[in-house]
Amino acid sequence: MNEPDDHEPLGRGPDDHEPDDQLGDARLSRRQVLGIGLVALPCLAGSVLVFDWLTKLTDTGATENTEPIVAGYDPATHRWGFVVNTNTCIGCGLCVVACKDENHVPEEAEYSRTWVERHTRTANGTIVVDSPEGGINGYEPDTAPVIVPAAAVTDVRFVPHLCMQCEDAPCISVCPVGATFHTPDGIVLIDQDRCIGCGYCIVACPYGARYIVPAGGNMPGGVPGVADKCTFCYHRITTGRRPACVEACPVGARAFGDLNDPSSSVSVILRDKPTMILQGALGTKPRVFYVGLEGEPTA
Amino acid sequence: MTTVTVAGRELALSPRVAYRAARAEVARTPRALKAWYSLLLVVMAVGAVGAALTIAPGSEVFGTTPSFEWGILISAYVFFAITTSGLCLGSSLGTVFGIDMFLPFEKRHAILAILSLTTAFGIIALDLHYPIRMVFGAVFNPSVSSAMWWMGVFYGVYLVFLVVEIWSMFFGHDDIHRYACLASSCTAVLAPSTLGAVFGMVFAHTYWYGIFTPITMLVTALLAGTALLGIVFYVVVRLELAGFERGRRLAIPAVRILLTVALVGSLILLGRLVLDGLTSDKVAFHGATMAMINGPLALPFWVRLLGGLVIPLILISLPRTRTVTGTGVASALAFVGVLMDRLLFVSAGQIIPTTAVGGVVSQTYVDYMPSLVEISIVAAAFAFVAFVYTLAERYLDLREGDAHEPFHLPGFIGKPLARLTDRRAKPEPLEPGDQLTGGQA
Repeated sequence: MNEPDDHEPLGRGPDDHEPDDQLGDARLSRRQVLGIGLVALPCLAGSVLVFDWLTKLTDTGATENTEPIVAGYDPATHRWGFVVNTNTCIGCGLCVVACKDENHVPEEAEYSRTWVERHTRTANGTIVVDSPEGGINGYEPDTAPVIVPAAAVTDVRFVPHLCMQCEDAPCISVCPVGATFHTPDGIVLIDQDRCIGCGYCIVACPYGARYIVPAGGNMPGGVPGVADKCTFCYHRITTGRRPACVEACPVGARAFGDLNDPSSSVSVILRDKPTMILQGALGTKPRVFYVGLEGEPTA
Repeated sequence: MTTVTVAGRELALSPRVAYRAARAEVARTPRALKAWYSLLLVVMAVGAVGAALTIAPGSEVFGTTPSFEWGILISAYVFFAITTSGLCLGSSLGTVFGIDMFLPFEKRHAILAILSLTTAFGIIALDLHYPIRMVFGAVFNPSVSSAMWWMGVFYGVYLVFLVVEIWSMFFGHDDIHRYACLASSCTAVLAPSTLGAVFGMVFAHTYWYGIFTPITMLVTALLAGTALLGIVFYVVVRLELAGFERGRRLAIPAVRILLTVALVGSLILLGRLVLDGLTSDKVAFHGATMAMINGPLALPFWVRLLGGLVIPLILISLPRTRTVTGTGVASALAFVGVLMDRLLFVSAGQIIPTTAVGGVVSQTYVDYMPSLVEISIVAAAFAFVAFVYTLAERYLDLREGDAHEPFHLPGFIGKPLARLTDRRAKPEPLEPGDQLTGGQA
């Protein structure tokens, strides 16, 4: 190892100082300049192209997106909301079927954009929650979970679940690559070309609304290994239609509409009926509201 | 012919010469060491098959489900990542603060740390469905609100610092080495704390949520890193490898001191966690605590508590067992204990199903059984670290280096520290016998 001389500043040897008369030799000839240019310009152009390609690969501008995602649709003028009426829901499971059909969601219950839970209240006040097969097969009338004796049942209520499209969504803040984002109309979407499949958003979602798309026949968006969840059927609502589950519900237990429009069904319900949000204490500000869950603990 | 000198040996950079040298080396290798290599290579080969099965995105080869999204690969990643930090935390007392008794850790900790960190990166890459996308995404589209992004930044920078530390250490750039040690030691605090924040900021899982998770991660990092150094120095002393004399005289007592601090700290933090969980009104937190005390996680919990914390503490406390062997056994137990703790930590956080509305869920606990693919990858990760470290121990000069001048700290810190270090015995010059590595013996 070469130790620097004690009297010399660290890292600068005597040879570091170039004599002035050698500066003339350091001038470049025209040929050298041309040579450098011939090498540097393609390198520079290549770097710009690679950078541009990487930028396109990773940045869809989604986090700060103000461009309309769907042509002719202005997201800034809408603020979508969803109301679930548990007084009306009969637990038929048609909404789950419609969702899976519409969005090519895998059939297994663990991969669901929406599912229906059964809340069975017993005589001692306990609420037993179950959701066999995510409720896709529907619940038989007058049945209760196997662990609850029929005589002990005082009330059965069906509670459909879906992504809450939270205003302060934990799934957005935890995503390390910004693949989950808010649209201006308040929907939480996932950029499937950017998601890395780390599962952090799935762990962070307090509503259990997300899953990783398994490779196979049914893959929402056709991309395996990325996070997926309910989008309020964004491809439908941006073209003037209602979400598939809302259309499929035979009893009108699911209502969808624009919260900016005072005459929309959701605005009317929110104005006229007492509603609640799930796990409000977490401060996630869900855009899905529930009717008929009074008396149930919200954790 | 081009040659390169490694640990005093001149090696030719020619395929034929290299092949001949490799054959001669294999012939020279003791039979027990060959058996050890073979075992590790077999485990690594099985793990490689498992790893190959995970490459296709969306492949369902893990036992995880959306309700239990993070399995033993995440546990193993956390374990190796914090072990890296723990190795640097303990050894920084020697490399940064110049305390003599921690100086023998210098080279071995660096080798182990870089191995442990690269293994952690390998595991997380296999767990991710799109690891390449992660690299570009993290660089070109940083998400500063995400603890995971910060964790990636700190561990990425950490790897760079470790590379510089090792390069400067083996090539004699003492000044650079001191700065690299300081940088990696600072990162060794930041990185596991941020890793703890990845879990600690998830309010959906109340078992993980809170400020104590990063603190626990830091303390268990120290425990894991020290325990690994304890195991290594036990082997070094027993097999009389390079620097074993100073290892026996300084490193083993140093391991005992650090182990005591880390074990006591871990016990206090575990006690706080259990008490908090038992009295919590949060369904998931209370349920997870009960799952550990008297539920599906009870066996690993009690084994970890007794075998991984209490018994090691007794072993290094009692005068009769305060020996090289006692320290080695305590280190091994503590090391396995931290591994179990990481498995417990990740499992307990997810074992209570996420339910939107409170109340009793018909399925009390979420089921998770790691698949053979996951188990093979984790086993291969350990085999990889053991294999490469064995090679390093055999072929590299792992006696402590010469860059022992402590980093110049501000006066209000530096002066008291200098007084402390001056009271300790100066390291004695190395004896000729210490220069023999396993390969040169």
